[in-house]
Amino acid sequence: MTTLQTPNGFTLDNSGRRIVVDPVTRIEGHLRVEVNVDHENVIRNAVSTGTMWRGLEVILRGRDPRDAWAFVERICGVCTGCHALASVRAVEDALGIRVPTNAFLIRQIMAKVLAWQDHVVHFYHLHALDWVNPINALQADPRATSQLQQTVSPDNPRSSPGYFRDVQNRLRKFVESGQLGIFKNGYWDNAAYLLPPEANLMAVTHYLEALDFQKEIVKVHAVLGGKNPHPNYMVGGVPCAINMDGDMAAGAPLNMERLNFILLKLQEAYAFSKNVYVPDVIAIASYYKNWLYGGGLSAHNVMDYGDYPTIQGDPSTDRFPGGVILNGNWDEILPINPRDPAQIQEFITHSWYQYGPGQEYTGLHPWDGITDPHYALGVNAKGTRTNILAVDENAKYSWIKAPRWRGNACEVGPLARYILAYSKGVAYVKAQVDDALDRFNHMAGTALTPKQALPTTIGRTLARALEAHYCAHQMLDDYNAMIANIKAGDLSTANMTKWDPATWPKEAKGVGLVAAPRGALGHWIKIRDGKIENYQCVVPSTWNGSPRDPRGTIGAFEASLLGTPMVNPEQPVEILRTLHSFDPCLACATHVMAPDGGELSRVIVR
Amino acid sequence: MANIETFYDVMRRQGITRRSFIKYCSLTATALGLGPEFVPQIVHAMETKPRLPVLWLHGLECTCCSESFIRSSHPLAKDVILSMISLDYDDLLMASAGYQAEAIIDEVMTKYNGNYILAVEGNPPLNEDGMYCIIGGKPFVEQLRKAASGAKAVIAWGSCASHGCVQAARPNPTRATPVDKVILNKPIIKVPGCPPIAEVMTGVITYMLTFDRMPDLDRQGRPRMFYSQRIHDKCYRRAHFDAGQYVETFDDEGARKGYCLYKMGCKGPTTYNACSTIRWNDGVSFPIQSGHGCLGCSEEGFWDKGSWYARLQHVDGFGIEASADKVGAVTAGVVGAGLAAHAAVSALKRIRCKKDDNQ
Amino acid sequence: MSVTQSNVLRDEDLKETHLQGLSARTLHARRLMTVYVYEAPVRLWHWVSALCILVLCITGYLIASPLPSLSGSPSEHYQMGWIRYLHFAAAWIFAIAFLGRVIWAFMGNVYAREMFYIPFWRVSYWKGLIDTILVYAFIRSRGKKFVGHNPLAVTAIFFCFTLTSIFMIFTGFALYSEGTGMDSWEAKLFGWVIPLLGGHLSTHFLHHWGMWVIILFVMIHVYTVVLEDIASRQSLISAMTNGYRFFKDDQPK
Repeated sequence: MTTLQTPNGFTLDNSGRRIVVDPVTRIEGHLRVEVNVDHENVIRNAVSTGTMWRGLEVILRGRDPRDAWAFVERICGVCTGCHALASVRAVEDALGIRVPTNAFLIRQIMAKVLAWQDHVVHFYHLHALDWVNPINALQADPRATSQLQQTVSPDNPRSSPGYFRDVQNRLRKFVESGQLGIFKNGYWDNAAYLLPPEANLMAVTHYLEALDFQKEIVKVHAVLGGKNPHPNYMVGGVPCAINMDGDMAAGAPLNMERLNFILLKLQEAYAFSKNVYVPDVIAIASYYKNWLYGGGLSAHNVMDYGDYPTIQGDPSTDRFPGGVILNGNWDEILPINPRDPAQIQEFITHSWYQYGPGQEYTGLHPWDGITDPHYALGVNAKGTRTNILAVDENAKYSWIKAPRWRGNACEVGPLARYILAYSKGVAYVKAQVDDALDRFNHMAGTALTPKQALPTTIGRTLARALEAHYCAHQMLDDYNAMIANIKAGDLSTANMTKWDPATWPKEAKGVGLVAAPRGALGHWIKIRDGKIENYQCVVPSTWNGSPRDPRGTIGAFEASLLGTPMVNPEQPVEILRTLHSFDPCLACATHVMAPDGGELSRVIVR
Repeated sequence: MANIETFYDVMRRQGITRRSFIKYCSLTATALGLGPEFVPQIVHAMETKPRLPVLWLHGLECTCCSESFIRSSHPLAKDVILSMISLDYDDLLMASAGYQAEAIIDEVMTKYNGNYILAVEGNPPLNEDGMYCIIGGKPFVEQLRKAASGAKAVIAWGSCASHGCVQAARPNPTRATPVDKVILNKPIIKVPGCPPIAEVMTGVITYMLTFDRMPDLDRQGRPRMFYSQRIHDKCYRRAHFDAGQYVETFDDEGARKGYCLYKMGCKGPTTYNACSTIRWNDGVSFPIQSGHGCLGCSEEGFWDKGSWYARLQHVDGFGIEASADKVGAVTAGVVGAGLAAHAAVSALKRIRCKKDDNQ
Repeated sequence: MSVTQSNVLRDEDLKETHLQGLSARTLHARRLMTVYVYEAPVRLWHWVSALCILVLCITGYLIASPLPSLSGSPSEHYQMGWIRYLHFAAAWIFAIAFLGRVIWAFMGNVYAREMFYIPFWRVSYWKGLIDTILVYAFIRSRGKKFVGHNPLAVTAIFFCFTLTSIFMIFTGFALYSEGTGMDSWEAKLFGWVIPLLGGHLSTHFLHHWGMWVIILFVMIHVYTVVLEDIASRQSLISAMTNGYRFFKDDQPK
């Protein structure tokens, strides 16, 4: 094969030079990517490989469904809590438990705190170094940075030249020490970095500011869930009982002081995303106005289940509406049903798993999913079994399965949610997107429409920033709703009527859906005799990082890299830039569940 | 290492006065539970030590340890990264990737042989030739062994590296193996927890930097300063435990009054960690304060010790699952019935014997 | 002190009794063997331990499954505190008594050593064991005479009581050292038990299981003692109260 047309409209050409990036850093988990570049160093073929598998599926089998949240929470410590939330929702769905209003709101606040913090950490600490050159910031004039800061974010109080000079001094000494630490071996001389020094200094300053502040917002998790990472969740509600003015309220999980503490942190987060995060993304994007690559699948198919209703159990009030857009038709949102076995299916043709004889090309719905690891390299792979030089994408090549909606690969994530919400005309999102694009076009001197600007690497990063700010807004609404509910006399935080397994049906199955920071997250559970019979997660990075399916349809990571020119293929800045815009979470992506928990092939070494 | 700056240099360059520097040192001494006589030692250490190179590897894990680490409030994570250690390799934060990233390991191993710290988050799987976790096309265990060979000491971050954690829970399909079972010839500091408390993580590092020695370790290899007491022993709800006041069900009167979570399966009485003393996220709270029992996440094999919500581990293999007490009571009943039957037969026999005697 | 003497009552047997001076022959009496088996320290230890076990089981059960919650201010109550105090106090007494019992095994008579080992290589032990099992199964009607414990009792006591007690003392002190701290002598002496048994929680579970083993042992022990006292050829209850075991018949075997 040299060139190939994929069913979802992409052209692959693997004749050029093969470039391998392994490990892809600044992500959660382990990812490998291989690309072929043509003679002009444009990426013409991309192969992404999830390089870890932990087998949580097998481990969960036979355990108490009420314990499952803690196991699956450990799928990922970056998006910590969203798997736990999906898990308790799945169990509650299976058993027909409705949580009290306070619990519903507290969970909403916790989910959005996580989304907000995750997006901030992602942009500044995992993504920014793809756009920002910290070494170049040493050449900045702090007065120019101050001026830039006041232009892009007039409300940000930390904008004096002295403030930026301090940071610059600190950075200078750090660099001059010769021990570059995390900046070591970066691609700082690469022409792909386009920011002027003053913008670099502003971004580096906010890198440190964000590092300081991200630990503040998660204190809300510490109050409501006891700790972060990995706050505690509970089937039936939340463990943090409310005691406003009774005996021993001071020792209760939630009291007046704790609520005030939460409110302060939510307000600080709101100010940070408004004054720092969103303006930074727009400002940085404006310097990269001609780098509109990386859209890939987002220009075609996007998907989300929908989440954050204002009324519990009423999807029509979802602040992020669900649905599927196919082939870039923003005028039609197709409904999605996670229970329909014909809609969501996972394939393993190119994944290191097996479904059994004759099932190699079959798609399985999560409730019927199988996870039986089967590690083998293709005939055209280079290297050996334990020293892979190049994978063979025509064979099995990843620990990630390939989920499809009615056979279609879909991109998920904040960008998908924003395209869906924008198309559906959600007022807040529409205003946000239009305003951000106005500011971008104004700064960059362009006239891009949402349809041009959003399905790009930059659009993905922008959507994440806007979503973080929308979450900050929603959190305050949720907080006020909770106060109103408490004021109305409702202190209940847990529904314990179906706590005892004796009250459960012999068999039950449920699904828990969450608008996780990286996209549509679903957990499917089957319960029998009070124990987990099958547990399956289909997570955002499984959708985005999926390998090819039997028809050859490629997933979002691979699609997004195609057509991107590289300045220097030895220095994969452009690859990192686009991959990071998805915020890949590989521990999440690679851990799905076996129903039979059958004996796995065991090769004992040493 | 002549051109490597000391903490003091760094702090002075940051515009911190000597006066503030000394104050910082005395605060550090207090934070580590040391008396004022240690302040000069800390001052000296800060003035003379170069920044310690650290390689931070990631195996099978969830990155919660790194996430916890960057939550540290004292010292701030940025100060640790910029001024205390030289974090030369860390998958999560490093700018470079691919070959450039892997080259750093070789460089540090050559330049600082025997003088760098290897921090490990996660653990290596040994099944499938180690290919359940691949770094640079090779098994993670290879990278781990290689990086450990030149290390001064190894820090096993979190329960994954220390004990195996969730992927090593029964039946451990990937044969995920704790670091100390793979690296046998290096001193290993275990800092368990899922994740460990941020300030415990930075506390271990600053202790090593300040005193230039390994922290005192307990029998299991954990720093005694943070892992020598049970959560239960300094829990703010302990008075309710001793009094006999418990949460009987979530969101009941006791839950709202902050009664002891013992009956809710709290593992505080069997868990060694600093959660109830140092607390989480800059001392804001800890699981028990937020109303949920302790999961025991810093204890070995805590995934396989029964439900989070049960005091006594459930036992399988008795048809339906049952607690030790149910099994014990049933057995006692069966034995009691057996003894009664035996007594009845004995009595009958005796009567018959007597009849025989009389005849 | 053996049982092999002639079984006819002789004149000298009546010396220093109120029958002194009478002719033994004319009394037509059988000579009942009485043997001093359990010396005073053993008897004292037995009953102290019995009391301790009662307290330990009740308080231990309540520590694992506490009583219903009390209301009011925590300063008004110390219920769990007292339960734990009683448990620890009884445990200390039990452990010290057990230690004393071990020492007495070296100082006391041959029966003082019976509970500490199984005479694995002795043929008579195996024969006696089979014999006793047959008697308990009502297959053989008449048991043998035993001065000390019968072999089945030796086996049960060794495994269910002696070994379990040692296990409970070791795990108990290991758990106790959780409170006294890593530098305490309890931790130094017994702390190694915890990692060996798979951690603190597992040690708690096993300590709890040990309680059930002891409870079952006590049930069987009390039953068999009463049964034996009525049905067997030797006395049991009196042996543990005044130390003398008498035999109800004078047949040699």
